[in-house]
Amino acid sequence: MPEQTRDFEDIVLKVEPEARRLIAQYPAGNARSALLPILHAFQNVEGWVSPEAMERTASWIGEPVSVVESTATFYTLFHRRPVGRYMLQPCRNLSCILNGAGAIMEHFREQLGVGHNETTADGLFSYEEAECLAACDRAPCMQVNLQFYYDLTKEKVDSMLAAMRDGTFEVAPLPQTAAPGRNWVVAQESGRKSPGAQQVVDPNDPGGLGDKSGVAMIERLTKQPYPIDVRPTQERLVADGAARLESPTSNGSGH
Amino acid sequence: MPVVKVLTDGIGEFDLRDIAVYRGRGGYEQWKRAVTEMAPADVADITTKSGLRGRGGAGFPTGRKWSFLPNNGRPRYMVCNCDEAEPGTFKDHMLLEETPHQVLEGMLLGTYAIGSKHAFIYIRGEFEQGYEIFCEALAQARAAGFVGDKLFGTETSIEVTVHRGAGAYICGEETALLNSLEGRRGEPRLKPPFPAVKGLYGEPTVVNNVETLATLPHLLKNGPEWCARVGPEKSPGYKIVSVSGHVKKPGNYEVPLGTPLRELLEIAGGPRDGRKIVAVQPGGGSSACLFEEHLDLPYDFDTMAQNGTMLGSGAVVFFDDTTNFVEAALALVRFYAHESCGQCTPCREGGHWLEVTLERLLHGGGLASDIDMLVAVSHQLTGINLCPLGDSIEPFLASVINRFEAQFRGYVKIGAARPPMAPQKTAVTL
Repeated sequence: MPEQTRDFEDIVLKVEPEARRLIAQYPAGNARSALLPILHAFQNVEGWVSPEAMERTASWIGEPVSVVESTATFYTLFHRRPVGRYMLQPCRNLSCILNGAGAIMEHFREQLGVGHNETTADGLFSYEEAECLAACDRAPCMQVNLQFYYDLTKEKVDSMLAAMRDGTFEVAPLPQTAAPGRNWVVAQESGRKSPGAQQVVDPNDPGGLGDKSGVAMIERLTKQPYPIDVRPTQERLVADGAARLESPTSNGSGH
Repeated sequence: MPVVKVLTDGIGEFDLRDIAVYRGRGGYEQWKRAVTEMAPADVADITTKSGLRGRGGAGFPTGRKWSFLPNNGRPRYMVCNCDEAEPGTFKDHMLLEETPHQVLEGMLLGTYAIGSKHAFIYIRGEFEQGYEIFCEALAQARAAGFVGDKLFGTETSIEVTVHRGAGAYICGEETALLNSLEGRRGEPRLKPPFPAVKGLYGEPTVVNNVETLATLPHLLKNGPEWCARVGPEKSPGYKIVSVSGHVKKPGNYEVPLGTPLRELLEIAGGPRDGRKIVAVQPGGGSSACLFEEHLDLPYDFDTMAQNGTMLGSGAVVFFDDTTNFVEAALALVRFYAHESCGQCTPCREGGHWLEVTLERLLHGGGLASDIDMLVAVSHQLTGINLCPLGDSIEPFLASVINRFEAQFRGYVKIGAARPPMAPQKTAVTL
């Protein structure tokens, strides 16, 4: 286990001159523009964007902490919880999928014993399946701590992981100033942006805010499958809604 | 083979990150000529005459975009959009890392042409290496006197700021990019007002793509006719096409616009051995698929639009007869669901439900009606959002369902067994 010590004022000493330089890059009166760059600077030193870092950033750019926090949550590259020493991000988008990224991702999950957006128990690896990394000519590709790796094969992945475990990998590990948990993504950033869709994995079981209309619609569809040459029409969508209105008590009876 | 080397000239042969190498090949000569011999309006005029259309996705004529700036005496800003994240596109990534000086020279020329004193480049957060390379190039150019105050002994001063994003596809949309550059959430703004009137910090702003700006030094060097005489009249010039997918030699190839798709396929090494191309997505993840019968179409903005798709950012993905289009559709739908900023309900909710429906289909829990539902829902979240992200789901999904319906049907209630592989033309039209 790598040593984990953290003296926030020590971190601030390293970041502050950089932050002042970043703010000066923008026209006077627009210090808020430096918000993202300053958070990058903090993350480079600290390994993640801590609440203290957001507070300090807010004071430097002259905005409330809520502004910094609400902005930081929008961007996927900011880790709002501590992460592993190596952030592994294989691409899961089209060109990589066409060239075997599915098997590579499966291999990663097997080798690491964790899934998408999870950190291994030893705090060494964080794993995230990323969107198109703009290197489709050498698919499947990935980033390790934002450095590109191309033309992945299972063998290549194995040797990379072995090197990281031995501490001989060519990319420097991320700083780690606090022990990471299993998951570093806070709930509102999980990609399930809709409150109704939180934790929903199956449209047959919409759950959410007690709305069972989806269940009613799917039950009706199961009983009366549409022939394929009849595409959904406005009338049919109205019919789905109407059926629900007519018999509100029959909804939610499960399936 | 019509592969040309204009923007890509010297890439892979020389270290163009070194300012001395770039200058040795004629770099910054046009910048010096523009500042010392030309008025800003002359540079803008050449761009307008050339007919150059934006290389970022929308294909809007660059000169016209500049002409919308009001003459109100307010400060103006030039913003170079290097937030390349459209699935299948990797040209700006290459230009940024391989020829940062060409990008910078183009930015400076564009900034000068619109009469601005401050240029910004917004670099995608994932391009950390590219960011460092560009910062180094900027430092070299500053030391050489190409950026800063009183350039070449004239009154012209231009400042350049490099800004790195933090992981959000939506920031490629110009108003979202401006919000992000102002330190806000990358949510697109309501338009109008357009950025030309009220952009960065509320001032008139032009947002141009990396490739568009990198073309400017060549336009100035060769004159507007050089661009105007290449390719079709309405979409002239050379274009870097990012070819990927099921081809033997994927890569960035610079060709005249109007090159047939089949020729692009040959340039990229053709299909894998024993395979046949059954579909091609010609303009990035947001464009509708074309099929084998369309391969002889010329690749330009208008022909693609007439055939129900678009040239977009110039990302061409070829699919051969082994493709599982349900998986391919899921990859793209998941992308748009993940990247939705969440402002507009149709895009935020629709994308998410399309994703879980496709996932269910792929994992054996699908219903026959799901296929109808995919088409209907993707259609209904089109045209009613603040920005085109929600609209980007329907083209690919609907075009492949229409064409390869048997593959989607094959997943209904049969578990994860693979559907029939051969493409099947159905009589259904959307």
